[in-house]
Amino acid sequence: MTDAIAYARPKYIGKSIQRLEDSRLLTGRGRYAADFQVPRMAHLAFVRSDQAYARICQIETHDAKELPGVIGIFTASDFAHIPEITAPSKMLNYHPTFCPVLARDFVRYVGEPVVAILAEDRYVGEDAAALIEIEYDPRDVAVTAREASSPNAPKLHDSLGSNTIFSRQFAAGDCVKAISDAVHVVSGQFCMTRKTSVSIEPRAYMAEFEPQKDTLTLHSATNIPGIVRDEIGRLLGLSGNKFRVVTCDVGGSFGGKGSLYPEEIIVCDLALRLERSIKYVADRMEDILSSSQAFEEEVAATLAVDENGHFTALKADILGDIGAYSIYPWTAALEPVQVASFLPGPYRIPHYTATVRGICTPKPPTGPYRGVGRPMAVFALERLVDKAAFTLGLSPTELRRRNLVGTEEFPHRIGSGIIWNRSGFHECLNAAEEAVDLPSIQAEKTSRKDKWVGVGFASYAELTGIGSRIAVAPGMPMNTGAETATIRIDATGAVSAVFAMSSHGQSLETTLAQIVAEELGVLPEDVNVIQGDTSLTPHGTGTYASRSAVIGGGVAVKATRGLLVKVKRVAATLFGVSPSDIQTGDGNIFVPNTNFAINFAEIARLVYSDMSTLPQEARETLEFQATYDPIVGTTTSATHAAVVEIDPETLLIKLRRHFVAEDCGRLINPLVVNGQVHGGVAQGIGAALLEELKFDDAGQPITATLADYLVPTSAEVPDLEVAHIETELPDSPGGFRGMGEGGTIGAPAAIANAVTDALSQLGIEVNSLPITPSKLHALIAAATKQDRQE
Amino acid sequence: MKPAPFEYVRPDTLDAAVQALNHEDARIIAGGQSLVPMMNFRLVQPERLVDINRIEALTPIVQTDTGVRVGALTRHVEAEYHPLLREHFPIISEAMPYVAHLAIRNRGTIAGSLCHADPSAEWPLLAILLNGEIEILGGSGSRTVPAEEFFMAPLTTDIAETELVTGVFFPSPPASCGMAFDEVSWRAGDFAIVAAGALVYIEKNRFVNVRLVLGGVFDTPIRITALEEALVGQSANQDAIEAVLSLTTKDLEPNDDLHASAEYRLSLVHVLARRVLTCALERASS
Ligand SMILES: Cc1cc2nc3c(=O)[nH]c(=O)nc-3n(C[C@H](O)[C@H](O)[C@H](O)COP(=O)(O)OP(=O)(O)OC[C@H]3O[C@@H](n4cnc5c(N)ncnc54)[C@H](O)[C@@H]3O)c2cc1C
Repeated sequence: MTDAIAYARPKYIGKSIQRLEDSRLLTGRGRYAADFQVPRMAHLAFVRSDQAYARICQIETHDAKELPGVIGIFTASDFAHIPEITAPSKMLNYHPTFCPVLARDFVRYVGEPVVAILAEDRYVGEDAAALIEIEYDPRDVAVTAREASSPNAPKLHDSLGSNTIFSRQFAAGDCVKAISDAVHVVSGQFCMTRKTSVSIEPRAYMAEFEPQKDTLTLHSATNIPGIVRDEIGRLLGLSGNKFRVVTCDVGGSFGGKGSLYPEEIIVCDLALRLERSIKYVADRMEDILSSSQAFEEEVAATLAVDENGHFTALKADILGDIGAYSIYPWTAALEPVQVASFLPGPYRIPHYTATVRGICTPKPPTGPYRGVGRPMAVFALERLVDKAAFTLGLSPTELRRRNLVGTEEFPHRIGSGIIWNRSGFHECLNAAEEAVDLPSIQAEKTSRKDKWVGVGFASYAELTGIGSRIAVAPGMPMNTGAETATIRIDATGAVSAVFAMSSHGQSLETTLAQIVAEELGVLPEDVNVIQGDTSLTPHGTGTYASRSAVIGGGVAVKATRGLLVKVKRVAATLFGVSPSDIQTGDGNIFVPNTNFAINFAEIARLVYSDMSTLPQEARETLEFQATYDPIVGTTTSATHAAVVEIDPETLLIKLRRHFVAEDCGRLINPLVVNGQVHGGVAQGIGAALLEELKFDDAGQPITATLADYLVPTSAEVPDLEVAHIETELPDSPGGFRGMGEGGTIGAPAAIANAVTDALSQLGIEVNSLPITPSKLHALIAAATKQDRQE
Repeated sequence: MKPAPFEYVRPDTLDAAVQALNHEDARIIAGGQSLVPMMNFRLVQPERLVDINRIEALTPIVQTDTGVRVGALTRHVEAEYHPLLREHFPIISEAMPYVAHLAIRNRGTIAGSLCHADPSAEWPLLAILLNGEIEILGGSGSRTVPAEEFFMAPLTTDIAETELVTGVFFPSPPASCGMAFDEVSWRAGDFAIVAAGALVYIEKNRFVNVRLVLGGVFDTPIRITALEEALVGQSANQDAIEAVLSLTTKDLEPNDDLHASAEYRLSLVHVLARRVLTCALERASS
């Protein structure tokens, strides 16, 4: 493959180069949306619903309006000119919801914005909020998806026939027959609870109105600046040359900043109406209550296995609790449908059927969260695989090995239609098995009495860098498969690389600079990566779905190669040689074994400023724009192995080791890849052992602060071990695969399997996450009671 | 998440502080680690905040003939490392790392924790276990309240809004005394699900005095007097402890909340009581 040759002796690609953004971010020189200060800037605060589902009877704002420092108080009727947020989809059996920017007539979750207060500062805004009285007429609620899916459940949206806002079937082969023919059948009911992303920076927006130019700039803590620009532009009737969205530094998203939010529409609308700049910074509680949530699904699944331990069929029924509204642009189908799409995993399973339903509940809308659907899919399937291994008396790794798609079998289409290309399925499993040393753990399990020790594996595959053939979310009428980039050498010889993506922690400033530097022959620190500004690129959507290394990295390769052709052409004219004689490196352009050499600054001067050295027709602008669309995408795979020990008395669960073997193709920067895996696994640990958004029977959130919603801290995350497996590279420019989410995809399942293994002597299975000592206590009590009865 | 407006005063002396507190709705701020979050959530909205951090009389830790007096403003981290406390009450430095995180321990104070009276907090448990006496100053003079009578309900103590805690006196325990602390929390630094402290005093291989205090199970930390009494006079060994352990959970109805079920807490009470009593006994014997 040409790329493999191009990088035969890479200078920067594959090197652990220190992150170029670190010195800025670690010394407090980062610039986040909340940092923007401009003259006459006003601050926005919200009164949010304290009811799960209620009719708004009356809103009393008189006292608040009188408070000095209050500029204006706004309710739904003040935004009647803005269409409701609605997420379209071509999916059959999908019913969009209509979400006004402020609740109109009804509130549908605690935390939904009802009144917007504009004030001179946020303190006054919150003083005014305390003076506003809203009278509600509460309605009956069905808080869980199960309750809300029943035909007699109170309907959350009167305009919809039921709370089921979409349903979809998957079918390949004859599952019913295959299951009835099977020698072994294992089943289970699996569930994951609601999560929120807890970025270190809460959502924040600053709409900067520039009266001189009559333009509006939204500084947004978003990871989808292009989508936000396009849709707010449409809702408010703004053209792209009058309205831009800029992301600057964003302190994490994990999906929570990856949808369009009412607050950012409101700051824009009010800034235009009042002709002044307006800032809104969510506090932690607002962020927990109103940023998109995720992962709340129930999966009832059955796996059929033949006498040789080969999987024959998989059947699943998936119920997704999608919250109050179908989020823009992904729709509520994003997460639950993805569970079904990826459930067959990296295995050969000839027969597959699945039904998926998304149910509206009076809880915050769900949206993307690192892993999207696959953490649930992998949890359910990998638990079934372990159950099957137990039933067959095989080791969990042996059963996986018998069923993983073989190296010679790629491309392989799984029952949901997804196609796996060559990736290190077996190599990752082997590496994990070797790292864990099963016999020694087995020995420890039998000899140790003071701890229950267990080991668990999880293998998975994911599609990353998804091209235009498949929408990232089902039926979404939007091209998320392409990226455009412009690489430019200016008159000073400086290299700028402009992308439409936006980093919110992925180190794109470093990795994209490494790629451009490698291809062009300059130093990475000399490449200025510009991103997240919609005025600089014609189109782009953002950074999500593990796409930026594949699509952004790919377009970086393509565009830089285009630019290099121009550079070589100029140098060839200058030296009187053929362009193929020219080489570049370390900022120099030269013909090897001659004294023909020039640096980038000099060639830029010759092209742009010197009117005599080169003929006019040779002085071409040193800029190249390219677009890249991988059409399908790349297959990333991994196996996680977790070793846990449980204190039999306190039931505290300690994750002793967590090992990840992953194949993300060519590593651009191992330091960055490790960082992504570490962070992802930390979130997976949260999903497995700690994080759970809880709601009471009335739909009131009872985990609205970080004292009650527990995320892992460094003390709960062991030293993580990561092995990079580089098998045959994918057919993408550069050979990169996406790997931003994998840590979160594999970890919950591996940990659940490890805890189950540790409890095998009690016959307890972990089928609901997170598993906590208190829940373990209940499981053990129930098991012992059952034992006694038998 | 911004506090309601308030007036801020920062007296330099105890007299000035008492005067400043003579107000309809004043509140002391010490480390601010519990108060500021409550103000930001607008759960409390004091009209006046009296900052006591500049009052030097509230800082010293001094030895007296009968024990150690710890000033109200002593930070958790100071208590953890103070030589006098390490020498006489090693259980304090054993327990302090369980209090929140380092940044919070750098600011949070002993009196702030006692007056905040979180049912799971370590200081109230320690104060009861160590027989502490809480010194209180108000407009009409000073008074002393035994720690065991100080805590009345969650976040409620025997102190008036116009009074302040100036310090805590810990009487010296006998030399052959062993103490131990342990707790279970979900993450490092979280409030305890259950915490336990034991103090064991033995003579001639018999339990002479035993104290067992539990936190996190009830509205205030509680002493398990039935167990304490049952152990006194027994041979000082593990069997004696095992024989009385069931008394810890007898009649106990632990709190059931978001974080843990009552049944699970009950099982922890058993486990932690055994662990701290065993460890305290070992320490007393050596
Ligand atoms: C994330 C987090 C985790 C925590 N985890 C724990 C934990 O695990 N265990 C634990 O014990 N604590 C924990 N805390 C609380 C911490 O220990 C606080 O420091 C302590 O509860 C209060 O001390 P303070 O000095 O900050 O008091 P402040 O917050 O200043 O005041 C608390 C209350 O005490 C009153 N007060 C303060 N000083 C006096 C005085 N001298 N006289 C009369 N009234 C007074 C105040 O008016 C207020 O009502 C945690 C706090 C945080 C933020």
